[in-house]
Amino acid sequence: MRMLHCTAPKSKPEQSQTEMKRELVYMDAKSSKFWSIELAGNSHTVKFGRIGTGGQTATKTFADETAARKDMEKLIREKLGKGYVDAAASDSAARKSELGAEEQIPFIAFSSINRREEISENIGTFIGKRVVDYDPEKPAKADVVYRFRSDWDENEVIPNLKHFMATPAAADANALVLGAWHGDDPEMTSAEVIEVLVKEKDRVPRLVAIFVGDIVSEENEISWIKQSDLSPLLAAFPKLQLLRSRGGDGLELKAPNHANLRALAIETGGLDVSVIRSVCTSDFPNLEYLELWLGTEEYGANHSAADLQPIFSGRLFPKLRYLGLRNCQRADEIAAVAVNSPLINRIEIFDLSLGVLTDEGARALLKLPSSPTLKKLNLHYNYITPDLIRELKALPLTVDASRPSDMDIDDEWRFVAVGE
Amino acid sequence: MVLSPEEAARAIRGGEVIGPLEVSGRLDLTNLEAECLPAGLHCYELDASGSQLSSLPSDIRIDGRLVLNDCAALRWLPNALRAGSISLRNCPVLVQLPENLDTWFLDLTGCHQFENWPKRGRIQHGSLILRNCSSLRFLPTWLGRLAHLDLAGCVQLQEIPEGITVSSWVDIGGSRISGLPPSLQGTPLRWRGVRVNERIAFHPEELSAKEALAEKNAEVRRVMIERMGYLRFAQEADAKVLDRDVDGGGERQLLSINLREDEPLVGLYCTCPSTQRHYFLRVPPTMKTCHQAAAWMAGYEDASLYRPKIET
Repeated sequence: MRMLHCTAPKSKPEQSQTEMKRELVYMDAKSSKFWSIELAGNSHTVKFGRIGTGGQTATKTFADETAARKDMEKLIREKLGKGYVDAAASDSAARKSELGAEEQIPFIAFSSINRREEISENIGTFIGKRVVDYDPEKPAKADVVYRFRSDWDENEVIPNLKHFMATPAAADANALVLGAWHGDDPEMTSAEVIEVLVKEKDRVPRLVAIFVGDIVSEENEISWIKQSDLSPLLAAFPKLQLLRSRGGDGLELKAPNHANLRALAIETGGLDVSVIRSVCTSDFPNLEYLELWLGTEEYGANHSAADLQPIFSGRLFPKLRYLGLRNCQRADEIAAVAVNSPLINRIEIFDLSLGVLTDEGARALLKLPSSPTLKKLNLHYNYITPDLIRELKALPLTVDASRPSDMDIDDEWRFVAVGE
Repeated sequence: MVLSPEEAARAIRGGEVIGPLEVSGRLDLTNLEAECLPAGLHCYELDASGSQLSSLPSDIRIDGRLVLNDCAALRWLPNALRAGSISLRNCPVLVQLPENLDTWFLDLTGCHQFENWPKRGRIQHGSLILRNCSSLRFLPTWLGRLAHLDLAGCVQLQEIPEGITVSSWVDIGGSRISGLPPSLQGTPLRWRGVRVNERIAFHPEELSAKEALAEKNAEVRRVMIERMGYLRFAQEADAKVLDRDVDGGGERQLLSINLREDEPLVGLYCTCPSTQRHYFLRVPPTMKTCHQAAAWMAGYEDASLYRPKIET
């Protein structure tokens, strides 16, 4: 595949005592990296670097093979704890796209914000590729992802987008990122930009991923971002695999249907129940990844766990592997329903991060049934006390219960990670 | 016929619908004046809160939410009614639920006449909210695993059947439940929304005024005092006498107990002239005299107008 040029051939992940080699990858909003380790006698060799580059190599020698293996296992544990996953498991190459030889986005590349801190910066990578602000003065390249944005006193997004569409590089573009589009008009919604994209859709025939709203609080607060109906993008781009958006104001999904969409991510400070209803009445037969930032009442959230029932029932999205209900004031309530739900028995990752998850929700999560598929619980940014975190970590799953260093869990004011 | 939610609502409100009707999204029939809905209705979500509906058609199909809050005349729901969630808050004449009801979330808050469960049904995975169902005397044995079970204000309910399990909390505030069945041992408890331990919930006789006064959380402290009873609490706590006088029952006292981070607890300690029983009746902390407190309880704002001939 084109996107993941790892230096070594992929090996099957083996976790047995006789493991000689392990190859891991990591992707988030800032970077996409590989890390591999190979044991040879009493030494091990680590290769690491940015995906698409050769990277660096480091060999370390120990007193004997047992010591080398012990160190190797320790390093692997550390990397897995940091969010690395096995390279072989990270892509879903096994599933051949019905579109033929089209680009398959690796599954790991669907996730964006892993840590709360990342929300304050524009993304550095998207679907594993480097993101660059589009500059009409420079020749457009095909191996990067362009972001289109305006400073507050300019209106460059639409002219720049049209300019890019007329370059030969547009024909090879796999992904587009729309940044702050409002320029000097704070009322401007994403509708105009989406309209341009839809109108010029034939110029970007290879487009598989769109991010509508790579906008950080310095540019515009998440609750001020003016969104619109995103479904024209679904209709215009039948090969779309990933649709990500930020901002809940005005957001709609009027026609939530797409035969090939694999990932939908909606980031808000408060999600209106009408969007949840659209997701619950959608037809996304190939959806593997669903991320909803539910938010708080202060910024427009008006749902309860009951509104998510169709998702938890498991009758939607037969291919779902990841469910993220993030940045949610009601994380405790949702945890209690999730552990009882049929869905939890067929997804791989359940993500309640960035929300107000307390001991109450943690106690419910301790009652998780032994799911045949569930591998990971993401509880980053939580209000759980140390004793319960210890109990959660004893579950037969990878549990990320990390917290930003400035977070005070004893504070009586408990708030989601991303509001204003 | 497939209609948008807006078209469908207009047609139903205008009485124009006959025959099957398919609606995508949320059908808003709030405050509908009709007593029944057309047959053959299928929608994702139906909200007919505040309507005059007395029943639902037997062939109605709802995929997601059914909301029938504040329906003054609602009595009958169809057999085998199935929806992702069902909300029937404050339906004053609803007495029973249909056979083979099937849902994840059921909210019967304020259904004061509700008392009859179907013989069979399925409520599982979600929340069962029975707040202030004051006629309810028992829970069915067929309940599946729930997320939350809210029995606050079920003043006649005495026990939870063995076999019920809950992934998060059980609220037993103000009910007559005196313990949890083995299947719920260790489940977090709430008392009208306040997180409490088993001792506060089930062994109030073990609580002391000293312990209640030492409780840092004001909400928990209030529940502890409520569970002990104001009378015992006032007797045990070192109350300050603000005023005393004599009425038909003998001496009465206006007592005040300071609580940290909360308003002082002020009440009239008196004796019933007929039964000789003692009472501690809570009044606003602004009261200064026994007479003023008694007047406030009788509904007089101006205490000088309260001149009872006899207090019984």
